[in-house]
Amino acid sequence: MKKYSLIVLLAVLSLPSCMNEPAPPPNTHEGNFQSLWKIIDTRYCYLDYKHINWDSIYTVYHQQLPSVTGEVPFFDLMGKMLFELKDGHVNLYSEFDVSRYWKWFQDYPSNFSSTLIYTSRYLGQNYRMAGGLNYGIIDNGRIGYIYYGSFSDPFSDANIAYAMNSFSKCRGLIIDVRDNGGGSLDYSKQLASYFFKNDTITGYMRHKTGDGHSDFSKPVEITTPAHKTIQWQRPVAILTNRMSFSATNDFVNRMNCAPHAIIIGDRTGGGGGLPLSSELPNGWLVRFSSSPMYDTNMLDTEFGIAPDISVALSAADQANGIDTIIERAILALK
Amino acid sequence: MKKLLLFALVVLCDFSLFAQKGDEQKYLLTTITNTYGLSGISLIDPYLSPLTYTGTGIQFEHESRRCWSETTTRLSIQSKLDLEAGYLLNPAQTSAMNYVAVNYSKGIHYQFKPGNGWLLLAGANLDIGLGYKDVARNINNPGNVDLATNFNLSGIAIYDIPLNRRTLRLQLSVETPVIGWMYVPLAGASYYEMFSLGNLTGISHFSSVFNRRGIHPKLTVDIPLKRSVWRIGLGYQKLQYTANNMVFDRTETSLILGTTFDAIHFGGRMRKAPKNFISPND
Repeated sequence: MKKYSLIVLLAVLSLPSCMNEPAPPPNTHEGNFQSLWKIIDTRYCYLDYKHINWDSIYTVYHQQLPSVTGEVPFFDLMGKMLFELKDGHVNLYSEFDVSRYWKWFQDYPSNFSSTLIYTSRYLGQNYRMAGGLNYGIIDNGRIGYIYYGSFSDPFSDANIAYAMNSFSKCRGLIIDVRDNGGGSLDYSKQLASYFFKNDTITGYMRHKTGDGHSDFSKPVEITTPAHKTIQWQRPVAILTNRMSFSATNDFVNRMNCAPHAIIIGDRTGGGGGLPLSSELPNGWLVRFSSSPMYDTNMLDTEFGIAPDISVALSAADQANGIDTIIERAILALK
Repeated sequence: MKKLLLFALVVLCDFSLFAQKGDEQKYLLTTITNTYGLSGISLIDPYLSPLTYTGTGIQFEHESRRCWSETTTRLSIQSKLDLEAGYLLNPAQTSAMNYVAVNYSKGIHYQFKPGNGWLLLAGANLDIGLGYKDVARNINNPGNVDLATNFNLSGIAIYDIPLNRRTLRLQLSVETPVIGWMYVPLAGASYYEMFSLGNLTGISHFSSVFNRRGIHPKLTVDIPLKRSVWRIGLGYQKLQYTANNMVFDRTETSLILGTTFDAIHFGGRMRKAPKNFISPND
């Protein structure tokens, strides 16, 4: 009996040692390189979609590793490797720098001037601010205009109710999300909800389920609910440019399904992959796209959403204090 | 004078009869122990980070134990409430994790008295635990919830060490989870996808010794002083569980200090306090 009791006791005590998470690589350049490469290899969601040969990238950058000495050159090498992903949602954060890919908007015309929208022709100086929304009436009282610069700025139903009440005599509404680099998906859903009559499936999302580049979960529906009390049922124009990224991209994707909405401006910057983060042994944080989002046709939104009406900001108009894209929206709402 | 003496005897007899009656009535003592702990914690939560976070924590435990009933004294009921908070750092000390947890358990033990000064308790308990870990700098995975309920095996060995002026009580308790249920998030999915979009597939797991193992021994000494009994001790906790291709790990070593005392609970129609007890409610 004593013998069996001892065996049972030893078995219970030894059980925890049988289950271990793989130990992270050591905190060396080699260890941190391996760690970063593996995180992207197993958890980044667009390697196949973007036809990126991540094994080749390993070879190219790993052979440069012995020649790197010091923290900053090592960081730069890691940043260059991540740059190959061409993804605005991929960053490496250290105590001294943040690696980034900004070509998704830097290589394109800006199509936005904050100076223009605050001239007397548009918002002027006496516009109202409710939550993160700057709003006023333009085009001689015929069009409501809201500029929303960041989906990180909160707003409430009350904010929207006041803004929409002030637009009660307007025939249409412009929501300008140019230069809005994103923020919270909850605000994206909330803002879109005011423009739907019924709960509507506006897209899908998946996430990585395994180490393989195409190991994804089944798509889960992204539903935009119709707001119960506040519903704008007149035409609405969404103004976009390349800087409309991430949560803004998601908002535009939702508004593509709204019954009276029209998208005007430039293609959005994309950022269709919901990012997550992880850490390297040296404590640097890496952010990467993890969960791809799709439109209603299961088309990826990583490379942006095309507008219904493509319009660029004309330099001549800009010189005359005219925002070409707002003017086109006013015309479209007539 | 005779009448007065007789009256005094009757009154005295009446009082002694009452006292005797009071002595025959048995009341259950509840042993209540409140302890505070200072812990060294080591924690791996792969949903938040692949690195091991280490740091310190503080904990409070309220434990009460009493016999099943006035007549069934071989069985005892134990309930415990644990509160814990910790502050941990990653190995490079570039990121911090805040950790809070609460656990409540209710269990039952059968008592053995194998020898003089010895008391052994063997039994089991059912617990429910809720915890939250937060790594503020993470993006879209800044926190993770621990939620689990378990059936645990539990054992306590108590030995009284008589000394010259007092008797010390040495106590070793051990717990280990056997079977239960746990919540584990989907690796690679955000809380937005799980809870805003409702993708809850794969977050609920049956747990057993195959995917959730742990051991929680605690060695304490009760030292009676003039007006109180103090408890000091050492605790250790090792818990590992795996689901959704992630292995979670928590190791904790604690220094424990607290007090223990016996109390009687009166309440309800059946358990009214006798008249020789003074209540502030009277």
